[in-house]
Amino acid sequence: MQKKFTLLFILFICLIIIPTLAQNTATISGRVHAANDNQSLIGATVSVPALGIGTVTDVDGHYTLQLPFGSHTLQATYVGYEPYTTYIEVTGGDALVYNLMLQVGSSQLQEVVIEANTLEQKLNDTRMGVERLSTKEAKLLPALFGEVDLVKTLQLKPGVQSGGEGASGLYVRGGGPDQNLVMVDDAVVYNPSHLLGFFSVFNPDAVRSVELYKGGFPAQYGGRLSSVLEVDMNEGNNESLAASGGLGLISSRLTFDGPIQEGKASFLISARRTYFDVITKQINKLNEGKEDYNQIPDYRFYDLNTKLNYKLGEKDELFLTGYFGRDSFGFDQSGFSFGLDWGNTIGSLQWKHKFDNKLFFSTSLTSTSYKHSISNSVGDLSYSLTSKIQDITLKTDFDLLLDGGHSIQFGALATRHAFTIGQFNFDVGDKSIEDMSYSTGKNYEAAEFGAYVSDNFEVNPLLSLSYGLRFSGFSSRGKTYTALEPRAAAKYSLSESLSLKASYASMMQYIHLVSSSGASLPTDIWYPSTPYVKPQRSQQVALGVSKLLWNGSFLLTNEAYYKWMNRQIDFRDGANLFVNNNLENDFLFGKGESYGNEIYLEKIKGRTTGWLGYTLSWAYRQFDEINNGRRFPTRYDRRHDISLVVLHQISKRISLTGAFVYGTGNAYSLPVARIIVQDVEGREAAVVPVYNDRNSFRLPAYHRLDLGIVLKLKPKHGEADLTFNVYNAYNRRNAYFVYFERVTDEHDRTETFEAKQVSLFPIIPSVTYNFKFR
Amino acid sequence: MKLSTLLYLCSLLLMVSCDMDKTIDIDLPPHTPQLVVECYLEQGKPFRATVLETSSYFDAPTPPLVPDAEVHISYNGQRVKLQYNPTFNEKQSKGFTHSSNKIMRGQPGDVYSIEVTDGKGRKVTGYTTVLPKVPIDSVKWQFNENDKALLLTYFKDNPNTANYYRYMTHRDSVRNGSNREFTLTDNLNNGKQIVIGSNYNYESGDTVVVSLFHLEKKYYDFLRSADDAEDANGNPFAQPSRVISTVEGGIGVFTNLVYDRRTVIIAR
Repeated sequence: MQKKFTLLFILFICLIIIPTLAQNTATISGRVHAANDNQSLIGATVSVPALGIGTVTDVDGHYTLQLPFGSHTLQATYVGYEPYTTYIEVTGGDALVYNLMLQVGSSQLQEVVIEANTLEQKLNDTRMGVERLSTKEAKLLPALFGEVDLVKTLQLKPGVQSGGEGASGLYVRGGGPDQNLVMVDDAVVYNPSHLLGFFSVFNPDAVRSVELYKGGFPAQYGGRLSSVLEVDMNEGNNESLAASGGLGLISSRLTFDGPIQEGKASFLISARRTYFDVITKQINKLNEGKEDYNQIPDYRFYDLNTKLNYKLGEKDELFLTGYFGRDSFGFDQSGFSFGLDWGNTIGSLQWKHKFDNKLFFSTSLTSTSYKHSISNSVGDLSYSLTSKIQDITLKTDFDLLLDGGHSIQFGALATRHAFTIGQFNFDVGDKSIEDMSYSTGKNYEAAEFGAYVSDNFEVNPLLSLSYGLRFSGFSSRGKTYTALEPRAAAKYSLSESLSLKASYASMMQYIHLVSSSGASLPTDIWYPSTPYVKPQRSQQVALGVSKLLWNGSFLLTNEAYYKWMNRQIDFRDGANLFVNNNLENDFLFGKGESYGNEIYLEKIKGRTTGWLGYTLSWAYRQFDEINNGRRFPTRYDRRHDISLVVLHQISKRISLTGAFVYGTGNAYSLPVARIIVQDVEGREAAVVPVYNDRNSFRLPAYHRLDLGIVLKLKPKHGEADLTFNVYNAYNRRNAYFVYFERVTDEHDRTETFEAKQVSLFPIIPSVTYNFKFR
Repeated sequence: MKLSTLLYLCSLLLMVSCDMDKTIDIDLPPHTPQLVVECYLEQGKPFRATVLETSSYFDAPTPPLVPDAEVHISYNGQRVKLQYNPTFNEKQSKGFTHSSNKIMRGQPGDVYSIEVTDGKGRKVTGYTTVLPKVPIDSVKWQFNENDKALLLTYFKDNPNTANYYRYMTHRDSVRNGSNREFTLTDNLNNGKQIVIGSNYNYESGDTVVVSLFHLEKKYYDFLRSADDAEDANGNPFAQPSRVISTVEGGIGVFTNLVYDRRTVIIAR
């Protein structure tokens, strides 16, 4: 096996160091940005149409092209902006830099932006399984309670499922919500949810776009098995000061951005807060002193996003990003108090440097932590329970452009993890008998590292390859694991409108989420790989075909994938996951597999845009100690999943949107039998359910229609709109869960048993007011 | 109440208060009944056991009796047959299918075993080791500003063994049903003085019966797993789990009950 990897590595190195020595070309580069606010335009097309050569700008709005010597017409396009054309002269010698500034389009369709990429780019992109979504798009689509949520909108894409009604967790191609690498400006977000997963932590005013990789992962990403979600934060406008925000049913948002030093430095600060506690506090106050009144607990979440960017010069730029978010739940009544708080704290300092037109460098120092804390006190007794993960990461990436169509990326990262697992403190105020206080919990430290190299190789206009290798490792409690993670993708154009794609990715995951529920709860605990707990591994192969239809106005994509996963983690029946100093003794290890086919038809131009997605998929897990060793479907195994999204611009001021989703019901465990446990004297008899196979039942099919209208207003200053949403327009009672109930007579005698289905959200209309002052 | 249940209930309260329940039909797969045994040996009380079968969930609620089941309890070289004689003890609100006049007089360390067989060839076996009683040291209370009192129960853990406990309180009498009950272990405070608190649920003049059971580990596992299974029926965040029986060949519990009990009257 060692030899095999050595050969593979040598072959790989050979491939990336053989640049073709074409002497008649030069590299041009630059940045594409918007004229109105100087924001970088990600995914803009920069091309020389006469040569059929083009590229797409990266996350910083940068592009690079290899062009033959001579005069060329260089064109930049971006949906929603006027095309920009310039004539350039390419000669040998110094680096050629062309920054391209696009004016906001005057077309009435400018606001209907589905995705930054054009369909042609997607057709010719070597990458597979990538979904990009802009905030502009998400803000047009109807949302639960009018709360725009980019992560939930991603659930409308094929191969991406939600965990349940209203939940913002992502289940990508059969993977769990803990197998997603969520990153904001190079910093990992450990819990991307507020309010038990009903809302994501990403304030739409602070986020420009998100990009989700479902497979075919580039070598620069590692550490999770199933997906990578890159969240791109907005930058402050460095031309003028602006304030924007929104008033909604659940929360309000306020954002300020503007220049610190015109043209060089800018800032953005964005805050969001919910209202629940303000209302419940008033209700509690009104009922204060009433004999049988039980206080309604307080709940709130809030988050604060900040971003500073500073141009040190033509070649250097600094970015400082911060995020602080908290959920807080609790009550305090007559000597009894309970509190549960959780949230992420993130800081990121990035330095981007351009050596020349061919070599770019980005390095970042990030700190991220996620913590949950439970506290309870009554009289002299009190306890607290805290779990936490805290990382410091240093990461460096290089982009090197070589002649002959090679684009090399290489880099490395090192992370120091600190885990606090189940830190439990019990305190007894009265120490007159003896000190009955005690505490428990574990603290672990671990180091994670990775290094990668990859090459995007345009072999010829028809064939492009992307291949790379990642070397990763993890060290904790005297045990070091290492692994090689090969990645590869290829695209071959059969014609101008038809391309074939294939990809392979091997992924490792060294930290694990201890969760008994299968859903994302704030009290889930991150746990390191240890001598006993080995890292998780997955491999995924995918094949795809993309076809432009009807003069290029539609793109039809079909992707089939197969993913197999080793050392998946579950827990013994009855495991105590909260206060347990030997938590890993309750771990179970097994394997998983998922496979499926995703069909995606999209249209991004015209008055009517949108997409239709259909996924046929299977997702299983298998553990010796569960289900008598037989494989079982995961909760989020969904055989059929359909999503239809339509946006229609009626006029300059009015847009109509609709989203319909249909999915096979979640797999679910139900008891097949019951026993009566009479218990001891002093306890009433109980009906105890007897469960058989795990997830052997299905909830009824889930379907829902959401509708929305966006009405642009004409305020005296700036911009404003009113968004009307109807969630679950035909009031479908979708099953959230099913339980069995004992039906009794007036003497509490059992008459019969029946099954009950609980739904969560009926039809919910909402209205949101958004504004922007400049 | 489990934390996930609490979170779930609160989120439901916060999110929506509409009545979104409805009755549905579910076809359950054919179920092969298993023997269910419940037998608690208690110092000074006769041997009594309940032998039933599992029921398919939507079967009629009549107890699924097993008339041809035979129950034997063995200890110290003796084997006692319990006669099939279904009865209901009104005083305890408990039913028994098999009983004997033999009185349990075990000492800590004594081992009792049970064997249940029936005409279908099913056989359930189990054993229990008599544990020593763990005495309650004291029961105290504290009042808050609203004249409500919380209860504090103190006892000492034995440092030489891993211990499992069940704590219960009743108002006035154990016949009234427990108003507080939970299980605990000593794995975090082995050998220490242990205090168990309550919320401010009591008033001056209340009579409270406090019971502390000393459990075998397998009985503790049975109670917790039965509680988890009950909790999973109706909690979408819970992972359904099997009942961990103390017996083999069927479902159920065979154990001995050792407990200390105090009755206190709350007074200022």
